[in-house]
Amino acid sequence: MASQPEPAVSPFLDPGPRTKAHSLAILQLSRDNLLPVYLQPPTGEHDGYAEGAVVNTRYGSFPHYTMLNVPWGSQIRASKVDTGSRGRKRKRDGADDTSREATAAASEKDGEGPGAVATPTQETGGGGGGGGGGAPVVKQAVADSSGFIHVLPPTPELWTTSLPHRTQVVYTPDYSYILHRIRARPGSTLIEAGAGSGSFSHAAVRAVYNGYPAAAAAAAAGGQRKGKVFSFEYHEDRYHKMKQEISDHGLDGLIQLTHRDVYNGGFLVDGKSPEADAIFLDLPAPWEALPHLSRRRPPPSLWPSGAPPPGLDDPARAWVSPLHPRKTVHLCTFSPCIEQVTRTVSAMRRLGWVDIDMVEIANRRLHASRDRVGLNLVNFDRGVNNSAKDVEEAVTRLAEIEARFREHAAKARSRAAGAGAGAGAGAGGADAAGAGDVDMDSDDETAAAAAAGDGNTAPRPAAEEEEETAAAKTDGLPPWMEGRLITRGEPEIKTHTSYLVFAALPMEWTEEDEARAAAKYPVGQEQKVIGTIDKAIRKQERREQLQKQQPGSKKARRKERDEKLGEVLG
Amino acid sequence: MHSIIRPNAWVALKLPSGNTKVLQVTPNTTISLGKYGSFPTNLILGRPYHVTFELQDKRPDESFSRLHIVPADELYAEVFAEEEAADCVAPAASGSGNGHDTVISAAGGDEYSLVDDKGNVVARSDRAVLDESARQRLTQDEIEELKREGNNAGKDVIAKLLLSHTALDQKTSFSLAKYKLLKTKKYIRRFQVLPLDVATFAQWQLDERDASKILDMRAEMIGLVGCWANVHFGGHDVFLPDPNASPGQGAQACPPVDEKLLRGRWLVVDDTCGLLVAAMAERMGVLHEQGSEEGEGEESKAPSQQLPVVTKAETQAPTPAAAAAAAAAATTTTTTSTAQKDGDTEMTDAAGEPAPQPSDAQPKAKKPRPSDFMIPYSQTNTITVLHSSSQPNLSFLNYWGFDIASPNHPPHPLLNHLLTLSWLQLLQPELDSSYATPPPTASPETLASWKPSRRGNFHRKRRRFARTRYVVDSTRAGGFSGLVCASTMDPISILRHTLPLLAGGAPVAIYSPTIEPLAALADCFSVPRRTAWVGGGAPEIEGLSNEELERWPGNERFPLNPTLLQGVSIQTSRARRWQVLPGRTHPLMTERGGAEGFVFTAWRAKPAEGKVAAKGKFKRRKVEPAAGKPQDATPGVETPASG
Repeated sequence: MASQPEPAVSPFLDPGPRTKAHSLAILQLSRDNLLPVYLQPPTGEHDGYAEGAVVNTRYGSFPHYTMLNVPWGSQIRASKVDTGSRGRKRKRDGADDTSREATAAASEKDGEGPGAVATPTQETGGGGGGGGGGAPVVKQAVADSSGFIHVLPPTPELWTTSLPHRTQVVYTPDYSYILHRIRARPGSTLIEAGAGSGSFSHAAVRAVYNGYPAAAAAAAAGGQRKGKVFSFEYHEDRYHKMKQEISDHGLDGLIQLTHRDVYNGGFLVDGKSPEADAIFLDLPAPWEALPHLSRRRPPPSLWPSGAPPPGLDDPARAWVSPLHPRKTVHLCTFSPCIEQVTRTVSAMRRLGWVDIDMVEIANRRLHASRDRVGLNLVNFDRGVNNSAKDVEEAVTRLAEIEARFREHAAKARSRAAGAGAGAGAGAGGADAAGAGDVDMDSDDETAAAAAAGDGNTAPRPAAEEEEETAAAKTDGLPPWMEGRLITRGEPEIKTHTSYLVFAALPMEWTEEDEARAAAKYPVGQEQKVIGTIDKAIRKQERREQLQKQQPGSKKARRKERDEKLGEVLG
Repeated sequence: MHSIIRPNAWVALKLPSGNTKVLQVTPNTTISLGKYGSFPTNLILGRPYHVTFELQDKRPDESFSRLHIVPADELYAEVFAEEEAADCVAPAASGSGNGHDTVISAAGGDEYSLVDDKGNVVARSDRAVLDESARQRLTQDEIEELKREGNNAGKDVIAKLLLSHTALDQKTSFSLAKYKLLKTKKYIRRFQVLPLDVATFAQWQLDERDASKILDMRAEMIGLVGCWANVHFGGHDVFLPDPNASPGQGAQACPPVDEKLLRGRWLVVDDTCGLLVAAMAERMGVLHEQGSEEGEGEESKAPSQQLPVVTKAETQAPTPAAAAAAAAAATTTTTTSTAQKDGDTEMTDAAGEPAPQPSDAQPKAKKPRPSDFMIPYSQTNTITVLHSSSQPNLSFLNYWGFDIASPNHPPHPLLNHLLTLSWLQLLQPELDSSYATPPPTASPETLASWKPSRRGNFHRKRRRFARTRYVVDSTRAGGFSGLVCASTMDPISILRHTLPLLAGGAPVAIYSPTIEPLAALADCFSVPRRTAWVGGGAPEIEGLSNEELERWPGNERFPLNPTLLQGVSIQTSRARRWQVLPGRTHPLMTERGGAEGFVFTAWRAKPAEGKVAAKGKFKRRKVEPAAGKPQDATPGVETPASG
């Protein structure tokens, strides 16, 4: 309540319960087919569509207003949208879409008739009506049977899979691990160099977010640091696109994007230190940027070129470190090649980074399905293996075939014997052959019928439908529960994304600091030993403790524990 | 936190052997590192984290070892030497095949050799070296003696060991490096102090304690679950106003749940003793103390040391509503300041006032106690834990100073942001006595006549009732922003009861050490099952409304309503660690095995009311001859190629 006047929280951070106009939504077409869309309010005809802005997919057309003001996650039916005449119209008008009346008239002409047009879709009635009410008139679409989509709130994960690629993307398995390891938490300040496509920026801002800075100034009382991402991008085109994205996503003030070559320019923003405590470098040559991330002016030998870059070579000017002066700084670099890693690690060691750790993340996605093997399974859809499911079934089947074959052979033999006995004209012989054919067919059918009785039907395409129900009945299992549940990997796996090098830089500790700490915590009054101690000592201590505790009741012990907790928290 | 080691903080000590020791650094104690020696705790208090300390030799007049911070150059001295050696050798070797200075080899009997890209032999391995390990001339007693002399933080021991190894000249540079590393790990007297955050704690629990307690949850999995469930700071705290219910008022005076205020809430099922809750709390910014987040150690320490005394006085009021209390305190301070202003204008009285005013302020500092029905929980940024026994098992939160069982808890951010309720309270609250028993009431007069202990009991019962009622009602109201799960229970049964509580589009992330439960869960949302559900395969759902379908109890054929989740996916991640050293970079030879760990992810969908047709628009689609079959209603979304 106290913090209500937050103008617009990014949909990434708080999407609210329903979809909003002018806000990003992710349309899920299929599991991995996601489409980011900025929902437009219905402001009359748009781009030749009488329905306003429309998303066209292989599952049909979806006017934006059918997706407005609905709960997130809603299933949206496709609408009947006139896409054909729009194209013709536009061509006729010379690609100029100012002729609103003409299009409107045209759409009315070949529309479904006024009655149908007026009725909004059933299920989105609340949304469609609410969104469209009072707004400029747009054509109300009818639900189409071509398909549906789901409209999901944006998250860094969805954005990562759907964003427009500008560079190699840092995917969720990598960034989730990185953010965990570099301790990016609410209130952290994070430097990211190489904004790239922005997937990491979005995940990072979610991790460090603990309120917008403006709101912080208003609250003022806490004085708590607000989390922020300082992002740097070298490529101008990508910088502008990213800048646009940041403001479209309501992340202004949370991500500060700078267009700069950090190898030469460093990480200061307006000459001031961002005071970062977490750093992510997605650069081709991290070792060129690393000397900038020092607490003290690095000696010239540690710069890759042997001398500090221009602007930093003046020893008279004080060195401003972009790092938080009183905190350990955690760093991660992201490099695809091992040679980059070697150079980076070497530079890190010389610059005083500790806890250097290199890992690579292997992520696999698995798909659960039913492995349907069996002779009596219905070919319900693809993926059924109509072979024997076990040895018993194979043997039964073989015995069956064998029996049928023997029966048939015996019949043929007896018939041949009969034919030989009553040998007539050549025509008669042909007749006999024909009769044999007929016999054979009927044999098969009876065999099949007998087999069906055993619950061992081999499906025949001709009688598929009856047999489907028959099989379901005999097994008692619907087709989606048949077979063994299995998991298998996706057809193509990412075997290598990049090597992640982690490191930490402790805060600087001077003689004065040490003297102050030593004065504050004087040595010499040690009473107890903690940590690893001999079993004998531990036993003795325990004995003493128990003796001391004897008189105390449960209550007293609890009180003691609470007191201890209080001390801990102090 | 995470900048300076504070008294009584839980820390992780990293030893040269690679082991971690987790302990609480109590002032005025001695920390023993086993074979590496011991030192007074006060020597690391107030010092920074992550630096490497070295135990110095005892001074003649002192009975303990002092510490010395090892500069990074010294840590990496050997690597630098190797790098330089490599730099020097490279040009020499390119000239001729005379790179043999660096090749330490035995005469004859080469087993195999390592050749660099120019064909120069870098190192040779010899069977004799590999076979014989007992080449150390120093006996165990002599080594012990050396250790007792204990000079130069163990470096002397290592140097002597190397010198007295007879076959040292026969070692390849690789085995030499390995030998040296082995001895260094054993004898160097160095250690590092790490803050005990979730990442460090989980690693320690996994590697050195009982991994099964945290369901073998590796760092990769903690990261994945947190991200896929979109766990993040869920908005600034919002508290319900105090209803100021008098003791005579019953349940009807409890503040009702206002669904519009509830935001940024995550539902958790945690069988990892609280690790999952801690990881989420860290992501939401409610695990670590706010004040300590700032690194200004020295200045802020003075007041913080006095804090326990103050809090102890405050915690006499057993409501753990720290933030609410703070807010209340803020209002009282403003009132006192206005009172003082009034005093200023009334100069005549002011002369008489000063003496009583401080004494008056003293009880005021204790602030007015919130009424029994005051809800201490924030409406935003909360974690709701569902537990299967009568009390939640969140014992690991103790490492971050939070004890779920403590009635008079000192202030902690989790107090206002962690809600717990049992499955019984969620599903059949009328059977739960703490929910169903109405609160006791009494007139103020009767109350005043009681003994303090009875009065305390009365208030305690009323507070507990109000809190239970609020937790249960607000949870049942639903609208959660996500579901996170790491449980030994069947995930299907968990989802059956939690899916209706999720807001539309809310992510679901379920961790399991093994894949089978997740596969069974994913199978509930398989394409054929969805198809059958949509296409009338379940006659029992005909005519049910969407609300009824959301709470569909499930049957054998459809354990869950398969349309309630979208984008169902299972994944696993593994971090492979590498050793990076000049010329010796390779993945580690062994790593932790055991449970692999899998994460199930999906989003809560809001299915459209009524039948949804989806024939799709596919150019090369085969026309199904048999119309009217369930395939026709196949959600085009999932089965672009079906039929």
